[in-house]
Amino acid sequence: MSDSCSPDAGATASDTSLCHGLPADAKLSLTLLVVVVSGLIPLEHWPAQGLLLVAVFMALSLAGVTVRYLARRLALFLPALFVFGLSIPVASAEGLAWNWTLSLWLRCTVSFLAGLWLIHVLPLRELLSVLRRWHCPVVLIAMIGFMYRYVFILWDELRRLRSARDARDFGGASTWREWTISAQLIGLLLLRAMERAERTHRAMLARGWDGSIRSLDDDR
Amino acid sequence: MHIRDGILGPEVCVAAAVVSACAVAYSLRRLRVDLEDRAVPLTGMMAAIVFAAQMVNFPLLGLPVSGHLLGGVLAAVMLGPWAGCLAISLVLIVQAVLFSDGGLLSLGANVFNMGVVGAWGGHAVYAALRRCLGTSVTATVSSAAVAAWLSVLAAAALFCFEFGLSSHSSGFDPSGVFTLMVVYHALIGIGEALITGAVLAFVLSRRADLIPAPTPLPAVRAVGQFGTAGLVAALAVAALLAPFKSELPDGLDAVSQQLGFASLETERPPLLLDDYAIPLPVEAWWSVSLAGMLGTAIVFVGAVLLARAVRWNTTPLTLADNTDV
Repeated sequence: MSDSCSPDAGATASDTSLCHGLPADAKLSLTLLVVVVSGLIPLEHWPAQGLLLVAVFMALSLAGVTVRYLARRLALFLPALFVFGLSIPVASAEGLAWNWTLSLWLRCTVSFLAGLWLIHVLPLRELLSVLRRWHCPVVLIAMIGFMYRYVFILWDELRRLRSARDARDFGGASTWREWTISAQLIGLLLLRAMERAERTHRAMLARGWDGSIRSLDDDR
Repeated sequence: MHIRDGILGPEVCVAAAVVSACAVAYSLRRLRVDLEDRAVPLTGMMAAIVFAAQMVNFPLLGLPVSGHLLGGVLAAVMLGPWAGCLAISLVLIVQAVLFSDGGLLSLGANVFNMGVVGAWGGHAVYAALRRCLGTSVTATVSSAAVAAWLSVLAAAALFCFEFGLSSHSSGFDPSGVFTLMVVYHALIGIGEALITGAVLAFVLSRRADLIPAPTPLPAVRAVGQFGTAGLVAALAVAALLAPFKSELPDGLDAVSQQLGFASLETERPPLLLDDYAIPLPVEAWWSVSLAGMLGTAIVFVGAVLLARAVRWNTTPLTLADNTDV
């Protein structure tokens, strides 16, 4: 929904903090554990959920996540959650549903913050090595790597297409016209990307690609 | 559209993850046969395209929010159902783990709703329609648009199903939310259909060779495709119609009550889907909807088994042999 054209990945290689030093498997397992525990805590035990929230906040501050970044992500996340949670008691008009809404808000916020912590401390390289250790199919891992590489190229391409469009229509297009232009934008992006994929494939063939993946991490 | 962590119960998430993992593994196997060594660069690029295309905003008339493409049907039409399912799954994995968009634990449910149903189901609807409508540009674009609308609605119906199964949501009546959800997604689906159709029309006008024509299928796979298409359509229709189900007794029940032979009805053993409602301690609306979906699913499985049984006795037919069907 945000109009920003820039990727919003949290982790970079230069970050050094206590949390970044953890082994990658521990980072992913810990986050999953928090999400599962938060999902299993029943309605009545909301103080436990609150404790979990505090713990996740502490982990976020240990990982060096800035308050500004957190506020920006929460500003996008909370309104949707707020509306979804409210729609339940409005539709059912029972006393119990209000409890349910509050616990939903807490649960979702805890999980979301845990996810933010993860994207801040887990760079793509580590994710791929974890997936390899967890016996994820090698082809899938290669596809994720390819996709991550292509995404940034396509983002730049999209930015160029967009500025070309904005330079020509002076922002005065009607809604219907804007829809058709945007659809053409995606179509053009798709054509250019597919041609790029074909070129990449040919270049890979020229370097001896036979469909199997080899990695320097194999002997780990 | 992305389900966040905490909305569905952990047990539902785990079950959906197991099903999705099987679907992704099957897609991977099929893909290596279909695309061979092109699989990795092409699928990776398609995932990147869907990811980037979701950044293009479509303004909604008079509203402060904007929508974007979901892309399941678009990817499946361009590269086939297997690569389409994988591309959407990759997008969801990367969004969940590296961008915190959509939940980690509910990743399986998201992949199932959007990747498996969106790409496999969407492609089945598209291919089945295109087989009936022909290979003109209009036929291709309209088939894809219908498939896009149905797949969005089916995903919404599945979310309601998963939400109803989650233990968190027991104890109150979620039918109002489901009605809201389905109506909202029927509108989102119109947007998705328009964008998918427009993008495809553009691609067809420039590089028609990029979009493969449907190839003749063996009879069994054709039946499977029609069956999957029917299942997606039935899911969507069940979700749309369930809230409006009449509370009045149906024709036969009404007549039997008027004529008084209802009292003659003997005691019959209770059936599993008695009176189109599953005997669960949940509200009647949800029960009816669940029964509808379960019934459709059972019919679907029956049709697939029937198709299998037919295959054992006859030599495989191709569609080219009976194009007048």
